[in-house]
Amino acid sequence: MLRKRIIFTLIYADCYFNQSRNFRLQKVGNIDWLEQNYKFKEISYFLDELIVINATRNNKEINSFSKELKKITNSVFIPITAGGGINSIDDAKLLFNSGADKLILNSILHTRPDLVKDLVKQYGSQSLVASIDYRKLDGTIAAFTNDGTEKIDMNIVDYLKYVENLDIGEIYLNSIDRDGTGFGYDFSTIDDLANQLKKPLIIAGGAGNADHLIQGLKREKVDAVATANLFNFIGDGLVNAREEIISKNLNIAKWGKR
Amino acid sequence: MKLVIIDYGMGNLYSLKSTIEHLGSSDVTISNNISVINQASKLFLPGVGSFVKAMSKIKMLKLDKILNDLIIKKKIPILGICLGMQLLCNSSDEDGGAEGLGFIEAECKKFNFTNLKVPHVGFNQVELNINAKINEGFNGKNDFYFTHSYKVQSNQDINCSFCNYGGDFIASFEKENIIGTQFHPELSQTNGLKLLKNFLENF
Repeated sequence: MLRKRIIFTLIYADCYFNQSRNFRLQKVGNIDWLEQNYKFKEISYFLDELIVINATRNNKEINSFSKELKKITNSVFIPITAGGGINSIDDAKLLFNSGADKLILNSILHTRPDLVKDLVKQYGSQSLVASIDYRKLDGTIAAFTNDGTEKIDMNIVDYLKYVENLDIGEIYLNSIDRDGTGFGYDFSTIDDLANQLKKPLIIAGGAGNADHLIQGLKREKVDAVATANLFNFIGDGLVNAREEIISKNLNIAKWGKR
Repeated sequence: MKLVIIDYGMGNLYSLKSTIEHLGSSDVTISNNISVINQASKLFLPGVGSFVKAMSKIKMLKLDKILNDLIIKKKIPILGICLGMQLLCNSSDEDGGAEGLGFIEAECKKFNFTNLKVPHVGFNQVELNINAKINEGFNGKNDFYFTHSYKVQSNQDINCSFCNYGGDFIASFEKENIIGTQFHPELSQTNGLKLLKNFLENF
């Protein structure tokens, strides 16, 4: 049976990893600090996938990002999806050559559909994840690009359809309102939108404990649950969460001891 | 032991290299240079993306002839992963049809479902064929990481292991020195490490 996935998202900006709350970033530490304090590579044993997003606000310098990415990918034996600031086939190539197995795209979905189509042609739809950030605005759901700063002039249902028609492989649906809060996922929106999707759905924004992950994993239309919450989940948070999820016989992968 | 990961310019080769190195192999090269590939004691053919593009790059680099010589005549062990597995087969129905390297009597077909999502992505259970040397030490169903929209079909006796997604499909095959895995052992935690170790030690 195809398993559901638990994904950790690392938010990178200016050589540091960050805790994000409603898309405001707080520096936590660089990769060495993360490894020393959180034994990050140990923790990856309890994850199905890792996503690394370059959320640097102004100049998303892709060369230094790719160097940091390369440091993460050593001794991590799970898929790594990377993105943030991809603006050309060369940028994509650089991230793949730095250890990315898949790419996550956001702003160019809206601004440069032709480039997205070229990426699909070259690397296949299974290599590409569409990141869609949204927030509630006057009672409706609005999608945003550019680190949550630019509102898209299309309703969310149409935007999701448009993104699926670009033949992207997966959808990463992230609630800006819930981001980093630990209040739990925004299921009222997720349940509504998930029914309309034909592509695998990763939900993000709000997970603060194992129970939140479990609520997501139990949903038929949710394929993966993601959290970027360094404070709540790193340390033994994810380790305990995965053990609890396995003990409850939920449908997630198991692998042999190291 | 000289290990060569064949580079035809598609996808991530770096994680495969670092995984093989983690298993203790020091002589791992990523290359598309014919003289380097000629010296390999074992070959890896990874890759993701377009079958058609991959084949045209392989032909452009004249790797098809050298691979035929090494794999069919000299019986050098090769492990094809994901798209690499599919390239070892006869053909794919991508873009109206394309020929592969033709080492394995099999065809690649796109998943076509009304009620299941494509790509098939995530860990899924594989019923490992215990007659295959690549599966030594495994029992029953084991989780491996997949991400693909096409599947391999064959009616030949090639020691297949199967996975189920809207029906059984070939998750791996082993025909003498030619091994293919639709899943990514380099992205499958300790299960993948164990399988890669088998490739390094049993062939």
